Amino acid sequence: MLTHRLDSDADPGRVVIVGAGGFIGRTLNDRLDQAGIAVLPVDLPQYDLTLPDAGATLAAQLRPTDAVVFLSSLTPDRGRDAGTVRTNLAIAEGMLAALAGAPVAHLIYFSTDGVYPFGRALINEASPAAPTDSYGAMHLAREILARDLADRQDLPLAVLRATLIFGGRDTHNSYGPNRLRRMAARDGRITLFGEGEEMRDHVYVGDVARLILAVLRRRSSGLLNIASGRSVSYRRLAELVAAQFPAAVEIAGGPRMQPVTHRHFDVTALRCAFPAFRFLPLEDGLALAHEEMRLHEDRARDSNA
Amino acid sequence: MSAERPVIGYAGMTHLGLNSAVASAERGFTMVCFDPDATRIAPLQNGELPVVEPDLPEMLARNRERISFTADAADLARCDLVYVAPDVPTDDAGGSDTGPLEGLIAIVDMAMRPDAVMVVLSQVSPGFTRPLKRPGAVKYYQVETLIFGRAIERAMYPERFIVGCDDPARPLPPALAAYLAAFDDCPILPMRYESAELAKISINVCLVASVSVANTLAELCEKIGADWSEIVPALKLDRRIGPYSYLAPGLGIAGGNLERDLATVCRFSDRHGTDSGFIRAMIANSQYRRHWPLRRLHEVLLQHDSQADPVVAVWGLAYKQDTHSTKNSPSLAFLSALGPFRVQAYDPVVEAEPAFHPRISGADSALAACDGAEVLAIMTPWPAFREITPAQIAARMAGRLVLDPYAVLDRGAAQEAGLDLQTLGVDLGMAAATRQAAE
Repeated sequence: MLTHRLDSDADPGRVVIVGAGGFIGRTLNDRLDQAGIAVLPVDLPQYDLTLPDAGATLAAQLRPTDAVVFLSSLTPDRGRDAGTVRTNLAIAEGMLAALAGAPVAHLIYFSTDGVYPFGRALINEASPAAPTDSYGAMHLAREILARDLADRQDLPLAVLRATLIFGGRDTHNSYGPNRLRRMAARDGRITLFGEGEEMRDHVYVGDVARLILAVLRRRSSGLLNIASGRSVSYRRLAELVAAQFPAAVEIAGGPRMQPVTHRHFDVTALRCAFPAFRFLPLEDGLALAHEEMRLHEDRARDSNA
Repeated sequence: MSAERPVIGYAGMTHLGLNSAVASAERGFTMVCFDPDATRIAPLQNGELPVVEPDLPEMLARNRERISFTADAADLARCDLVYVAPDVPTDDAGGSDTGPLEGLIAIVDMAMRPDAVMVVLSQVSPGFTRPLKRPGAVKYYQVETLIFGRAIERAMYPERFIVGCDDPARPLPPALAAYLAAFDDCPILPMRYESAELAKISINVCLVASVSVANTLAELCEKIGADWSEIVPALKLDRRIGPYSYLAPGLGIAGGNLERDLATVCRFSDRHGTDSGFIRAMIANSQYRRHWPLRRLHEVLLQHDSQADPVVAVWGLAYKQDTHSTKNSPSLAFLSALGPFRVQAYDPVVEAEPAFHPRISGADSALAACDGAEVLAIMTPWPAFREITPAQIAARMAGRLVLDPYAVLDRGAAQEAGLDLQTLGVDLGMAAATRQAAE
């Protein structure tokens, strides 16, 4: 589902990261720095893409050889109401206005697996997008707007739909490795919804940044899901998180708020697009995230002291 | 014409026409084999065959005196009955290009006698035959049931003749009736053109449905410790399913013909507003199954070793055994996703080409392909591969992983040789653990 414009890897001239201050943006920025690739970070407060003249302001900074990675959005923990959707669409409007005024060489739109419904557990790029919440619907709308612009400009557009991402810098508190770890660190106990039966695929943020870089280096276009292809239950995830701590962590079931749903990914398209790409094993990714969070906590303690 | 022995013409000397004509000669008929392409006829006149099919060379040699190959359409004037049977090319989306067939029909129509019977044998979409200009009394459509690798067997011993007619109540013309009667009292089913055209598609859709069921449940077997090969006999003893049902799991449909029929049903369903969701699900399942070897390679080997740079041995490039065709071949799909890894390939008929993979090298033998390989993928179940023992394979490989979707190798022997055998429809790791626990 992804096609490469380049037969071999070539670094982009410069990468514009829209949403550079976010969880994924910062990790990507670091990865590009390591690779010696120039970056133009775009984020608040310097660039507020919801403002009326935001498109023109950003367009003035863009070069025809730039690759743009569009990450910016308000995540569900910032709101699920119509206002949040409106703000997210306004961000896209500003971004796309900038691109309309200053065409670039490559665009990556970072989307979510929330565009897929939970009716069927196995997902691949051919699965119909039929979002069941406003966040998924918003991303699907932004994908369509981006594709419309890309078609008009013959601009290579890669849409990346990512599953659950974790890492030490994750500030969100959604139900996943980071929240489970915070519970373990704070309470010595992880409480699951139900018995944690749901199967999900979790990817480490460093892998996401590596994959974005791989897409940039091939100027790829099309659709790709970002998932490891290995799903585990939340109970198993909790056990892996608990294993990061020297002291025993209790894992307890809790009230179930939603029916059990599962999600698995058929990652054939990813393996065909990047045959040599390997995800970190989940165990290793959790260990890295644990270490990052521990260092962050130590620093916070030191600064408070 | 002689009432018992009409002279039969076949137009279009590709896979279908050639095999059908040779089998007809074996049945004792005098054959005129025509193709307007002289470059196709000249090799045939010298006994050189453009396709690989069991028994075809021997049968042609046996009946050579009864067959005349010609590029001159005027020779068809001798025929009482002419089958128009070129292979119809299909594209990657399953669409048919009937332009060459229509061109050939026009040539044949001009050359044959007005009273002679034309039968369209090539596969066409519903609605193709009726508008052809030839009068209904001398214009028929017949369903072909060619199977690559079994073309001669199918042509010699058909299960039934499905004949599309202008008027199914009208008796078949004597030449056609005499010809069909020569095939051992094979049942003849006359029906209107459109029914016959759809009957062929219906047969193929039923086959794909069976295979899709097998694939879906075989994959589940791999996850829960069941063994699909143990379940199949139970299904075949069920009268509603039957002993000849297609229940072997595979790597998705290939070859082009089944894909074309599914695409045709979708196209007609869309045009006429009927539900094709089930058909589209079969197409999706087929595409998913095609990449089973790639998934297993990653799950079993690559995702556990971030530094792995394996040499991959591949046995088989053809889409199935006993054919040279690579159309939609799972083997080529596998190769296309092997990226930077080195590939050592062997196929008894198909040469390894750089177009298949940038780092492919052709081996002189199946065992030579295994030399130093981390993994062996047996992508086409050629009979010759069954004669090679797992111990011989293990002695040549550097690694232990063998992807054997079609169960070419003997399980027990593979385990004794220390190979990690991965087969469709069974989790052999779990099966071995269960056995050990029982012992």
